[in-house]
Amino acid sequence: MWRKEDGNLQASPEVSAGTATTPGKAGTGSITSPPASTKVPACVSQGIKIKGEVTGTEDLFVDGQVDGKITLTNSTVTVGPNATVKAEIAAREIVVRGRAEGRFTATERIQIWHSARVQGDLKCERISIEDGAELRGKVEAGKVPSTVTAGDGSAHGKKAEASKMKEAAMNDTKTASGTATAGAD
Amino acid sequence: MGFLNKLGMAIGAHAPRESTRSLPHGRNGNHGHIGAVAAGPHREPEMQETTRISNGLKEFLWNLEGLGRGTLLDLGPAWQTTLSFFIERGFRVTAEDLLRSWAEFQAKEAARGKEGLTAEDYAQRTPEALAKKFLSENLEYAPSSFDALLLWDLLDYLEPTLAKHMVAHLTEILRPGGVVLAVFHSKKPEGFQRYRVMDTHTVQVLGTKAIVPAQKLYQNREIQELFGRFRTMKSYVGRDQLRETLFIK
Repeated sequence: MWRKEDGNLQASPEVSAGTATTPGKAGTGSITSPPASTKVPACVSQGIKIKGEVTGTEDLFVDGQVDGKITLTNSTVTVGPNATVKAEIAAREIVVRGRAEGRFTATERIQIWHSARVQGDLKCERISIEDGAELRGKVEAGKVPSTVTAGDGSAHGKKAEASKMKEAAMNDTKTASGTATAGAD
Repeated sequence: MGFLNKLGMAIGAHAPRESTRSLPHGRNGNHGHIGAVAAGPHREPEMQETTRISNGLKEFLWNLEGLGRGTLLDLGPAWQTTLSFFIERGFRVTAEDLLRSWAEFQAKEAARGKEGLTAEDYAQRTPEALAKKFLSENLEYAPSSFDALLLWDLLDYLEPTLAKHMVAHLTEILRPGGVVLAVFHSKKPEGFQRYRVMDTHTVQVLGTKAIVPAQKLYQNREIQELFGRFRTMKSYVGRDQLRETLFIK
C-alpha cells in the first residue's frame, strides 16, 4: 500500500517533480537541483516577504514569507524549510517543509515533510505525512464519494444484506454482550 | 471463539501481541524510508508503542465492507497509516483531533476567565453552556455526512456533559446504518494513548503525554445510555482493560 507513494516521494526529493514531464527543457538553476525535475519553479526566496495574492500556472517554491492567498490550480506549491506561510493555498500538489498556517487544498496530493509545522485545514485526494511533522488541524483526504448513499444505509453494496442479517443477530445478543464484557472485567 | 465472537462475548483477545518498545528517535526510523512510516503529529521520543489485536476494528471493517466510496470521521490525530488504510479502501477520511481542540478551547476559556468576567459571562461558563459553545465551533458537519466514526481515547477524557452532547451531535452527522467504533477504559488509565490502524485487525497503541486528564470511566450501562439512539452495541474487552465498542445507527 505504501510502495507507490514511497516511490513517488523518493523520486521527488526537494521540489516536487510532478509537473516535470517535458524532458529537454532547461533544467538548471533549480533551487535544490532535483535530478528528476526539468522545470524550474518560480521562487520566493528567503528574505522576501509577500502580502497578497499569488496566482499563475507555474510551480512555486516559497522559502520566504507569504501572507495571503496562493492559487496555482494546476501546479505544485512547495513551502520550503525556511518559509513562513500564512495563507490559503490551492494547488494541484502542495509540499510543506517549513511553517505553514491556513487552509490548504490540493486537487492531487499534499506532502508534509518531517520538518514541517502545519496548522490549519488540509483537503486533498492523497496525503503523506512524514514522521516528526507537526500537524494541527483538520485533514480531509481521499476521493470525494459519489452521491450514492440514500440515507438509509441501503447503498452499502454487496454486503449490505449480509450486514443486516449480522446486525439482526447482534441485536438478538445485545444483552448477552453487556453481560459478557462486565464479566470480563 | 468464532461462535463467541458472533454473540459479542469475545474476551481476552486483545493482549498486546508484541512486547513494548521505544520508538526510534531518528527521522523515519521505523522503516527507513519516506512515507512508509506511520506518521503524524510531532511525537515525544520516549513514546512507547505496542500492537494489539483489535476485534472491534475487524468488526467495524466488516460492517463497512462493500460500502464503496464511504466517508469516515476519525476524531484523533491524522496518522499516515490510518489515513492510507482507509483511503486505499475508497474512503474519504476526515481526521480531526477533537481532544486537542478541547484542550485548546479550555485554555482559551481559562485565559478569558482571568481577564475579568461579567455576570453574563459567568452564566455562560456552565458545563452545559461550554459544551454547546465548543460544539458550535467544532464538528461542523451536515447531518448524515459520515458512514463511519472512529472515537479512540476520547469520551473518557471529555467532560461528561460535553461527551453526552457530543455523542448526540455525532449521532446526527452519522448516516442511518453508519458504524461507530469507540474505545473506553475499564480502569483508570495510567497514561494517554494514541491509536493507529496497522491492518484489518491490528492497531498500534502509542503511549504519550496526556492532553487532558481522564474524566470518567464509563460502565456498560452508561455507555448504552450514551449511545441510546443506536440500534446495536457490541463490546470487546481486552486484558489491557480497553473496551472496544461498536455501535450501529
